[in-house]
Amino acid sequence: MSTKIKKRGLAFYIKIYFKIIAQDIKSKMSYRADFIISNLGMIIQHGASFITFWILFQNFPSVMGWEYEEMLFFYGFSLIAMTPMQCLFDNNWFLRHKVYSGDFIKYCFRPINVFFYYISEIFDLKGIGLFTAGTAILIYSWSKLELAFSVLTLGLLVINLVAASLFMIAIMNLAAATCFWTINGGITMVFAQQFQSYARYPITIFGKFLRFVFTFVIPMAFVSYYPSLTFLSPDEIPLLTWLCPLIGVAFFLLSYFVWMKGAKNYSGTGS
Amino acid sequence: MKLRRCLSLIRIGIMENLQWRLSIIITFLGNIVYLVIIYSLWNAIYASSPADTVNGMTFTDTMVYLVLAMTIFNILNLYIVWEMGRDIQSGQMIINLIRPMEFRSYMFFSSLGGNIVHFFMVFIPTFIIVNIITGGAIPIGLNLVFFLPALIFALIIYYFIDFLIGTVCLYTESTWGINIAKEVTVLLLSGAMIPIAFFPDGLKTVAAYLPFQAIYNVPLRILTERDLSVQERFFMLGVQLIWVAVFYIASGLFWKKSIKVITVNGG
Repeated sequence: MSTKIKKRGLAFYIKIYFKIIAQDIKSKMSYRADFIISNLGMIIQHGASFITFWILFQNFPSVMGWEYEEMLFFYGFSLIAMTPMQCLFDNNWFLRHKVYSGDFIKYCFRPINVFFYYISEIFDLKGIGLFTAGTAILIYSWSKLELAFSVLTLGLLVINLVAASLFMIAIMNLAAATCFWTINGGITMVFAQQFQSYARYPITIFGKFLRFVFTFVIPMAFVSYYPSLTFLSPDEIPLLTWLCPLIGVAFFLLSYFVWMKGAKNYSGTGS
Repeated sequence: MKLRRCLSLIRIGIMENLQWRLSIIITFLGNIVYLVIIYSLWNAIYASSPADTVNGMTFTDTMVYLVLAMTIFNILNLYIVWEMGRDIQSGQMIINLIRPMEFRSYMFFSSLGGNIVHFFMVFIPTFIIVNIITGGAIPIGLNLVFFLPALIFALIIYYFIDFLIGTVCLYTESTWGINIAKEVTVLLLSGAMIPIAFFPDGLKTVAAYLPFQAIYNVPLRILTERDLSVQERFFMLGVQLIWVAVFYIASGLFWKKSIKVITVNGG
C-alpha cells in the first residue's frame, strides 16, 4: 500500500498512543480476575526457573566460572529486558492471522504510521508479572553480590536495559514480519520465542560456533550477557558491551524498516 | 459398542494429527533449540565440576534422561486445558455435554490419537538415535516391558491433572495463567527439568510424596536404570496406579460438582 502519510510530530504520537492503549487496558480491566491470574502464572513460571537454578547450584559450585548469584543476575536482567516487548509489542503475535485474513488492511487506511498504529493497539498486562519477577531476581542477586549502587550505576542500568530490550523487540519484529512474505510466519514466531530462553545464560557456556551465532546472527547475547557485564565485571568491559546501546538502536531501526517494507507490499486479500 | 466408539475417536485423532505435519515440524525444531540449551548447559556444568559422576549420574546419564523427558513431554502435552478453556469461552462446551459419551472419556479418547502419533513420530526415533549415539546407553530388555505400562499410567495421570485444571477454568474463564502454573509445577517437581537425583534431600522427600514424579521420573527410571530389581519396578508401577485412582476419583467428582454451577456463553 502506498498511501501518503502526513508527517506528524512526536508529541502527536505520544498523545494518541496513550489514548489507544487506555482503551485496551480499560477493556481488559473489565475482567480483573484474568489480569490477576495471568500475572500470578507469570510469577510462578519464573519462580520455578529460579528454583531450578537453586537446585543446580546445590550440586555444582559454579558453571564456567559463573557463581549462582551471577547466573541469577543474567536471568533477572533478561526478564526485565523482555518486559517492553511483552507489554508493548505483543500484537506481533496476531500479525500472521490479520495478514492472512485480510483484516490487516484496516491499519493501512489510517492517516498515521502503520507500524505505530498496529503495535499500539494492544498493551499486554502480563508484562507486569514478568517485570516483578525480573526485578525481584535482579535485586536479590545484586545485593548478594554486594555490587556498588549509586546514581551512576542506576543510570547505566536503565541505559543497558533499554538497549537490551531493543534487541528483544527487534528480533520479534523481524520474526513477525516474515508473515508478509510467507504463509508459515507462525513458525518463525514460535521459533524466535524459543530462542528467548537462550538469553538468560552467559554465552560462555556455549561452544565457539554458537557464541558467534548468538552475537552476530541472532543477537540473543545482547539481551542479557553483554549489557550485564557492565555490572558483573566492571574492570574489564568488552567493546561489544560499550557498543550495545548503539547496535540496539540500529538493530531496532532495521527491524522497523523490514516490517514497514512488508506492510507496504501488502495488497490485502480482496475482501 | 463402547469400544468401537473409542477406537473411532482414536482413529480420527491419529488422522487429524498426521494431517497437521507442520506442528510435528515445529515440535522437532523446538526440540533442537531445547537440546542445544541443555547440552551446552550440562556440558558446561560437568566441565566445571571436579567429579565425573554427580549424584550417581554421569553427563551421558543426565543427557539421556533429559532428552527422553523432552520426548515424553511431547507425547503428553496436548493442550487439553486450552481446548477446554476455548470450548467454555466459545460455547462449544454445550455440544460436548450432550454427546452420547461422558465428556471426560470423550476428551481422553479424542486426544489419545495425538499421544500415539507423537509416540511413534518423536519418541521412537529419538530413542533409536540416542541409543546409536551413546552406543547403547538405554538397556533393551525386560525394562521395555515395564516401561510401556509406566508410560500409559503417566499419560493417564497427566490427563486427569489436565482435566482437573481445565475444570478450574470453568470458574475462572482465564486459561493462560493457570495452564502455565500447572505446566511449570509438573515439569519441575516431576524431574523433567532436572533429574530428581539432583534435588536436595528435603525437596526429594517432598517430590516423592507428590503425584508429579509418577509422570516423568517413574517411566524414565524404569527405562534407563540398569540395576532396578523387579520388585522395585512393580512397586513403582503400584505407586502410579494409586495416583491414577486418586485422580480418577478427584477429577470425576470435581467435574460433576462444577458442571452444575457453570454458565456457558452462547452456543
